[in-house]
Amino acid sequence: MIRVEKLQKAYPAKKGSPPVQAVDNISFNVSQGELMGLLGSNGAGKTTTIKMLCGLIKPDFGSIYIDGLDLLKQRTPALSNISAVLEGNRNIYWRLTAKENLEFFAGLRGLEPRGMEAEIDYFLELFGLTEKINVEARKLSRGMQQKLAIAVALISKSKVVLLDEPTLGLDVQASYEIRQLLKKIVQEQERTIILTTHDMNVVQDTCERAIIINDGRIVADDRIENLLKLFKVKIYKIIVQGSLTSAQKSRLVEIDAVQEMEKFPNETAINVLLEKSETLYDVIDILRADSSLIKSIDQEQNNFERVFLEILERG
Amino acid sequence: MREKLLLLRAFFKKEWIILKRYSVNSLGGILTMYVIFLMLFAGYKGVSNLAGIEGDTMEGLVVGYALWVFLLITYQDISFTLRIESQEGTLEQLYMSPHGIGWVMGAKVAASFLINLLIMAIILFITMLTSGVSLNLDFFSLLPVLVGTLFSSLAMGFLVGGLTLIFKRIDSYTQMIQFIWIAFISLPANQIFWMRLLPGSYGATLVRNITISNQNLIQIGLNQLLFLYIIGSTHLAIGYGIYKLCERKAMREGMLGHY
Repeated sequence: MIRVEKLQKAYPAKKGSPPVQAVDNISFNVSQGELMGLLGSNGAGKTTTIKMLCGLIKPDFGSIYIDGLDLLKQRTPALSNISAVLEGNRNIYWRLTAKENLEFFAGLRGLEPRGMEAEIDYFLELFGLTEKINVEARKLSRGMQQKLAIAVALISKSKVVLLDEPTLGLDVQASYEIRQLLKKIVQEQERTIILTTHDMNVVQDTCERAIIINDGRIVADDRIENLLKLFKVKIYKIIVQGSLTSAQKSRLVEIDAVQEMEKFPNETAINVLLEKSETLYDVIDILRADSSLIKSIDQEQNNFERVFLEILERG
Repeated sequence: MREKLLLLRAFFKKEWIILKRYSVNSLGGILTMYVIFLMLFAGYKGVSNLAGIEGDTMEGLVVGYALWVFLLITYQDISFTLRIESQEGTLEQLYMSPHGIGWVMGAKVAASFLINLLIMAIILFITMLTSGVSLNLDFFSLLPVLVGTLFSSLAMGFLVGGLTLIFKRIDSYTQMIQFIWIAFISLPANQIFWMRLLPGSYGATLVRNITISNQNLIQIGLNQLLFLYIIGSTHLAIGYGIYKLCERKAMREGMLGHY
C-alpha cells in the first residue's frame, strides 16, 4: 500500500552551518491492513517522514508510492488515499461540533453528503462520542478531541491513515481506549495505519511491526515479536542475600554484561544482560567465591522500551 | 465539478454555522456596515444639498464602497485564513484535501463572498428603508462586473497569502494594501489605458459606468466585460503563481503550517 524508496530530506541551515539531514536515504513498504509503528527519539526524522508521506514537505530525493500512485507526480489522486492526525496540531475546528467537524471534513475530501449521516453516526458511536454529537470540539476533553481528530481522519475513507503521536498528552484511560480503537479499525476496516509515538506501550500493544529511525536512518525494521525476541533470553535478575563484598563489586564491574547493581535493605539485585551463556556462570562464580547466598535468578520480562533503547545504542 | 460544488457547500455551511454561533460578534460587523451605509447616505445628502447636486451619484458612492469592501474581504480572506488555520493547526488538513489548495482557498473565498453579498444586500435594503433613500441598482449588470473585479482581489490574496506562508506575520503590509485598493479603484482608468491593467481599476470604472452613467451590461458590451475578465485572470495567474513559488519554498524548508 505504501512504498517509500530512498527518501532524503535536508533542511537548509543557518549561515555558516551545514544543512540538517533530517531523513537520510530511508526505504520501506507497508502492506494493506498493517498497523506499523514509526519510532525514534526527538529529532530522529519521524515527523519529517510523516509529513513527506502527507505531501506537506517535499523530499530532496526519493519516491513515495501510495496504492501505486506516485505522490510527487500524482499528488491529487495519491492524497485522496491519505489522511492524517498530526502532532502539535488541533486537526479539527474547535468552534464546530463533533458532527459539524465530521461533515465539513467529509466535504473537504469531496464525499457525497448522501449516506453521510449513517457514516457519521457510525464513527461517533465507534469513538464513544454519540452523546457529544452537538458539543463544540473546544468543550471536549483532550482525549475526546483526539478521538474526534482520528474519526475525522477515518471518515475520509482513505486507505492510509497516518497518526503522529496519537496518545501524546492523554491520560491512561484515554490512551488505552485509543489503542483499542486502532486495533479494532485495522481489524474491521483493513486500513493501513502508520503511527509515530514515544510511548513504547502503544507500539507493543497495537503494532504488528516497527521501524526505528535514528538520525534520519532506519536502524531496525521488523515485526514486534521478532524485535522482542532479539533480547528476550538475555536479561536476568539475580537476587543475592545481604550486601556484596567490595571484591565482588569490583570483579562484577569488570564484566560488561552486568548492567546494574541495586542495594536493598536485606538483599542486592544484579541485572545481567547476557551476550554469552557462560557469562552467567562467571557472575555466579564471583558470588559463590565469597559464599553469598543466591536467593533467585529470574529471567526479566522483556519490554519494547528496552528493545528500543538497545537498538538506538547499537545504532 | 460536483466535487467542487460539494467543497463549496462544505465551506458555505461552515461559514454560516460560525456566523450564527458567534452571532454577537457577527452582529457587531453587521451594525458597523449599517452605520457606514447610513453615514454614506446622510453624508451624501448633506454634501449634495450644499452643492446642489442631483442624486444620481449616490448609487456610485454606495457601490464604490461595496466594491472596496468586497475587494478587502476577498483579498484578506486568503491571508487571514492561512494565518489562522496555521495558528490553529488545521492548515495541513486543508493542504491534504485532494482538491488542491487552490480550489480549497477558492471555495473558502467564494463561500465568504456569497455570505457577505447576502448580508450586504440585506443591510442595503434595511438602510434604504430606514433612511428613506432609494437606490436604483442594476444587480444583473453589476454582478458579473463585480465577480470579474474580484479575480484581481483573489490574486492579491494569493500573493499576500504566499508571503504569509514564508514570513508568517505581515499584518502591517496587509493593512497598507487596504489603502492601496482605494487608490486603485479611484484611478481614472477610463481615460488612461495602462491604469486599466492595475488590480480593481478597470472593474471600478465599469461599476461607475453602470451606476453613474446608467449603462447596462449590453451597453457596456461583451468586449469590455471580456477585457475585464482577461485582466482579472492574468492577475489571478500571476498571484497564484507567486503563491505556488512561496508554497514550494515553505514545503522545501518544512515550514508549511509552522507559525
